[in-house]
Amino acid sequence: MPPSRASSQATSLRGVKLAIAGKGGSGKTSISGTLARVLARSGRNVLAIDGDSNPNLALTLGLPPGDMNDVPTLTRDLLRRSPGRDELTKSLEEICATHSVEAPDGVTLLVMANPQHAGTG
Amino acid sequence: MHATVRSVVEVVADGPQDVCILDTEASPEHLSRGTARHADTMLTVVEPYFKSMETARRMAALGQDLGLKRVALVANKIRDDSERAAIEEFGETHGLELAGVVPYDERLPEAERARAAPLDYAPDGPAVTAIRELAQKLTA
Repeated sequence: MPPSRASSQATSLRGVKLAIAGKGGSGKTSISGTLARVLARSGRNVLAIDGDSNPNLALTLGLPPGDMNDVPTLTRDLLRRSPGRDELTKSLEEICATHSVEAPDGVTLLVMANPQHAGTG
Repeated sequence: MHATVRSVVEVVADGPQDVCILDTEASPEHLSRGTARHADTMLTVVEPYFKSMETARRMAALGQDLGLKRVALVANKIRDDSERAAIEEFGETHGLELAGVVPYDERLPEAERARAAPLDYAPDGPAVTAIRELAQKLTA
């Protein structure tokens, strides 16, 4: 693990990390997507991550439905797993450069899985 | 891929973004894989009926088990004061902060049918207005 660059950047304005949980159909994705867009409009640089194996954050962020199939997903080669310690093989900036898509208002979107992978509707 | 997401959230502060929003799995079983482990706040979205509150309670407990600094509820699709009161009571019973209350907005299911973002479809509706207030509160 590299020495923490985070510590020097960790002002009160950095590193707001929100996880949105909730039952399917509760509206968690509507809230996630709208929070991301609203914060981006207020000048924040927002990373939105769809960590649901039935992904639909892209739509709620306002990406055109026709673009959905082109959204890249996170691939296995991005992670080196070892006991007690997982490590990304690339920097987050590199991962975003190759694996993210830009949503309206400049939100950067990373998607964990393909819709086809989904278990539930 | 859950492990990759977990690691991405861990290193967010090293990247160019200053806010990270993780939309997690819809089931507690999957949530327990710990994708949210490195978040600092978990918002559990809850509707005012028993099954939703039961799921929210289990998810909030998982968030606390993961050691997150703040685990709070966001009430959603609230139609009236009695529904709001039911969520408030639920929060008090389980010692969970209620971070926001988002009213029911018929324009949101319409937006979904139209395949549009709530923010584009109903920007001044009660739901988006409440989410805007929540965003301000979370980053104040």
